[in-house]
Amino acid sequence: MEAKYDFARKYREQILQCSRCGFCQAHCPVYGSTLRPSLNARGKMLLLKEVMDGKLELSDELIETLFQCTTCASCFENCPSGVEVPEIIKQVRKDMVDIGSCHPAFKGMNEVLQKHDNIYAEDEPEDFERERNKQAENVYFIGCVGSYREDEATLATLDLLDRLEVDYTLIDEVCCSGVLEDVGYQINGDLVRKNLDNIYATGAQRVITGCPYCFRTFKNKPQYAELREKGIEIVHMSQFLTDFDLGVKTDKRVAYHDPCDLGRHCGIYEEPRDTIRKIADDFVELPHHHADALCCGAGGGVRGAFAKNSIAMARRRLEDAEEVGAEVVLTECNSCAHNLGNAKLRKQKFKIQNITEFVNELMEEAE
Amino acid sequence: MEIQGYNMPDDLYYEENHFWVKEEGDLLVMGMDDFAQKTAGEIVYVQLPDEGKKLKVTKKFASLESGKWLGKVFAPVNGELVEVNEELETSPELINQDCYGKGWMYKIDPSDKSELGDLIQGQEAVEKWVLADIEKYAE
Repeated sequence: MEAKYDFARKYREQILQCSRCGFCQAHCPVYGSTLRPSLNARGKMLLLKEVMDGKLELSDELIETLFQCTTCASCFENCPSGVEVPEIIKQVRKDMVDIGSCHPAFKGMNEVLQKHDNIYAEDEPEDFERERNKQAENVYFIGCVGSYREDEATLATLDLLDRLEVDYTLIDEVCCSGVLEDVGYQINGDLVRKNLDNIYATGAQRVITGCPYCFRTFKNKPQYAELREKGIEIVHMSQFLTDFDLGVKTDKRVAYHDPCDLGRHCGIYEEPRDTIRKIADDFVELPHHHADALCCGAGGGVRGAFAKNSIAMARRRLEDAEEVGAEVVLTECNSCAHNLGNAKLRKQKFKIQNITEFVNELMEEAE
Repeated sequence: MEIQGYNMPDDLYYEENHFWVKEEGDLLVMGMDDFAQKTAGEIVYVQLPDEGKKLKVTKKFASLESGKWLGKVFAPVNGELVEVNEELETSPELINQDCYGKGWMYKIDPSDKSELGDLIQGQEAVEKWVLADIEKYAE
């Protein structure tokens, strides 16, 4: 019998490979904060099997389950059967959108990006006290969260780049739109074109991204293949920073939160740590670190669509920081920094910052 | 009073970004009004600055968020932040449930209470302002 949905055509064998062992429950941030079996990978695979068997149809009833996943890949990382859950979920979401069934927040995001340059529908970006679109060796691409939700962190990053005498320019950037592929839609070709043209106009040979998700999008998506074909190097800020001798130190106890988009998805674990070890003698790993890191809860569109649960996941991640007595929790992802910052309780006295912001502060203090 | 489905008590003072203010003894209490909480959707985060923070009138001193919306909180008067509603840290939805009661946000020790006169107040002024904003946000 012909499969009714694309997810079944592409991933039938994988879904059947799920042995229902439930190992994923131990790692799933959504399950960890809700304790709802249907919301974790095992539950989702069970549901999808019922859809494949014709016992259930894709419908609005499945929106909460199928759209509530940060795509953090901790399930896949720990699955003894190797089920590629994030890829299956992304395809199912496309199938849901095709039948007109989608979480309103994601439908809204797609519509917003057809009319606006960013996911927040904001019309006026911060100028960050800097000229845009100059000729430069590097483009610093901020990303939507850094531009509109973590502007102080972004300003600090730019101040740091200036202190390090990096030749860079900002551009009239627009959303990389990579997130649309995670939530059932397609990358927005018009936005891609604008970004590419604005990058080329600077003559830059390198794009430094502040956002791991933009990094993944530029590095891996075919829509941005032109960048790679033209030999333009794409790096994340955490990689770029390792080349510098920063010359500052802190005596604070520092921990590092691995962003899923940087760690599990891109394998970038050591570069941020290399930088932290240069500046902090008291660096401690969080109880869940590297490929076992707990997701902050913001990814896969979850912060926009299931904000309360998203913050609950972040709050759970911060318990790790309390456990090791961290005074500073560093990361290098504005989404993580923002969600963790929102979740931090007043009684939790540690700071949450991007590495770049922290280093810039140390340099300011040393002046 | 009700204005097109929004509950806007006319005995309160209002800051133009849709925060209400009322006197409580020597202090002022501040919160989000019904128009704003309905427009914002479910509030998931409220910034609670440390007590003692100096407030400068019309300057941002905090923020709050729903899923994708970020709202800035501007000081309605000059003064000092003396108390925050700590319940909002884990139950920010109180603002949606009871924005004029349990969802209160901040208490301020004002430098000069007469600055309240610069805020929007009275049935006629409140109605005119809200109707204008209903039209503006409908676009």
